[in-house]
Amino acid sequence: MFVSDVFGLAIKALLDRKMRSALTIVGIMVGTAIIVALIASSNGMSAGISSTMGKMGASTLVVNSAGNFMSGGSGTQYKLSQDDVRILSSINGVAEVIPYYNQRATITVGGTSIDAEIEGMDLSKLSDLYKGIALSNGAYPSDVDVTAAAIGSSIATPTGSTVNIGLNNMISVTLSGGGGGSSSGSTLTFLVRGILSPYGRVLFSDIDNTIFIGLQSGQMLLKSSYYSGFYVIASSTDDVSSVQAAIESQYGDNVRVMNAGSMISNIQSVSSQMTVYLGAIGGVSLFVAAVGITNTMFVSVMERTREIGILKALGYQSGQILSIFLSEAIVTGAVGGVLGTVVGYFLAYLMGGMMPMGGGPMSSGTTSTEPIFTTDLILFSLLFPIAVSVLAGLYPARRASKMNPVVALKYE
Amino acid sequence: MFISDIFGLAIKAVVAVDTSHISQDVGSTHNDSQNCTKMNQAKVPSVEVSQVTKVYRVGHVNYPALKGVSLRIDRGEFVAIMGPSGSGKSTLLNMIGTLDRPTSGRVRVDGIDIRRMSDDQLAKIRNRKIGFVYQSFNLINRLTAVENVEMPLIARTIPKNVRQDRAVKMLGAVGLARETRKRPTELSGGEQQRVAIARALVAKPTIVIADEPTGNLDSKTTLEVLNYITTVNKEMGTTFVIVTHNPEVSNKTHRIITLRDGMIEKEQRLQRIDSYVGD
Repeated sequence: MFVSDVFGLAIKALLDRKMRSALTIVGIMVGTAIIVALIASSNGMSAGISSTMGKMGASTLVVNSAGNFMSGGSGTQYKLSQDDVRILSSINGVAEVIPYYNQRATITVGGTSIDAEIEGMDLSKLSDLYKGIALSNGAYPSDVDVTAAAIGSSIATPTGSTVNIGLNNMISVTLSGGGGGSSSGSTLTFLVRGILSPYGRVLFSDIDNTIFIGLQSGQMLLKSSYYSGFYVIASSTDDVSSVQAAIESQYGDNVRVMNAGSMISNIQSVSSQMTVYLGAIGGVSLFVAAVGITNTMFVSVMERTREIGILKALGYQSGQILSIFLSEAIVTGAVGGVLGTVVGYFLAYLMGGMMPMGGGPMSSGTTSTEPIFTTDLILFSLLFPIAVSVLAGLYPARRASKMNPVVALKYE
Repeated sequence: MFISDIFGLAIKAVVAVDTSHISQDVGSTHNDSQNCTKMNQAKVPSVEVSQVTKVYRVGHVNYPALKGVSLRIDRGEFVAIMGPSGSGKSTLLNMIGTLDRPTSGRVRVDGIDIRRMSDDQLAKIRNRKIGFVYQSFNLINRLTAVENVEMPLIARTIPKNVRQDRAVKMLGAVGLARETRKRPTELSGGEQQRVAIARALVAKPTIVIADEPTGNLDSKTTLEVLNYITTVNKEMGTTFVIVTHNPEVSNKTHRIITLRDGMIEKEQRLQRIDSYVGD
């Protein structure tokens, strides 16, 4: 028998019971679509998280005063000062300690208000901290130039506003609490000295929505005598865990230490667990669909008992009859797989749009992530339903092929 | 891991199809063997049944359907098997058609002992040597007339254009040239039976087995079908073994074998086998 004949006969048989075939295909399609959508969007999510984390070097640790995170100026929280710079610098394996001030703020440009962050730090260290960060225009303000700032690209050219901010423009910023200072609600004015190229998110902050000022001006303008935190750069990535342990033993619960590298691996392990979990949900629905195939095929084999008898009388060998019935399952699985992959593709985008990329309490808003379709995933979603269908169809098809022709021909 | 499994299964499925294709190819030396048997056909009977018994076991009870039947059917012979229901006619017919194996005794079809054959070997023998015609036509209703006639040739891996050509010609020969695209449900009983006869003959079998082929037909169509069978029998030398209750049909045959209670009750020679032999 030609393979084309085997499939030709199978397709004719499937078309003969259109409704049943369609329902079986829908079952396969739903299972496949769920798997494709869940895995693609979960892949996209973990890639999105990794890319925002990855920009901060793996040897960088972020040290915050504990409590600084949630509640703004809580009086009980540990105050970070110049003494702590010395303490941290003396830890074995620490290459550099960069103190910073941090404050949330609102900036109004041409009638549109933007949530922004003000970060005060030694701006000459900025490129040590954020790999590949660059100015598109102007220069970083010098430390003595206390009213000067370098602004992120989203502040310079805000989305939804026709007004852009250029070099040497003045911007007014309203502080909105948080940070170490007590200057919530007050308004500051900065002279734009530099504009950064678009950079993206790093950890929990959006560089493009940040106003960078010098350390001095940070202290003066934010009216805070204490640092918001430190960036601690270890000599090498191998030193990171020992440095982290040393800081934690030194400060106990007073500080929170975060490391980009360990966070990436944590988040990736969580998201890979999630992929497995979500994939299992799709797997279960595909299993249900497989049972549907088996059921449909059993009914079909029974209904066509006489036809099987005819085929045997005409000289079809059991392998040929098996192939005909099995190819009905293959066609069902293949059509369901293709439709499921297509539906899953769109479903993934739909889910990506709805699912916020949780960025922790400090994140300013949510980011929707693009789902990622790997070749493996597409191959899997096209072939796995076929494999499932073959398994589901094997037993009924075998039963058809093993029928006794005399009994089958008598079947009414 | 998963993907390799999938490919493994896919390959197995394809191999299952392909080996059947190959074994069909091996069998395509059939034409030569047919030429050989043509030369020897006077010596080798078409069907040889010796001391055949068949016992069906239902639960703990044995029902003997055949109790020692011996008969010999020559090439080109047209034989009617008669007898009351339950006499073992259909059982005997199934043995001759290689659809069933005897409990004891020997059945040879074209000199081949069917007890030694595997199921798949028997399927090949049926495909090449035996055509079946049934009272209820046994056509596949979702396929057109020509597709039904093509079915035996599909199993033999004959290319579509070749087999379609043969099927259309065969339908033309049974007077259905204009009905090739119709489905069985669109045809009358007589037309359906002619499609079934075309299907039985398309593979050029040496034996056609017919179980009450005119049982569902009116007397006019019965005559048509009978005339067609007689013509094929005479002109092509095809052996016909038919079960019938209709004396009009049995009287046109060469020989009537009457069964009763699983044994041959009587044999009645009506005509000599003419034509074809010695052609």
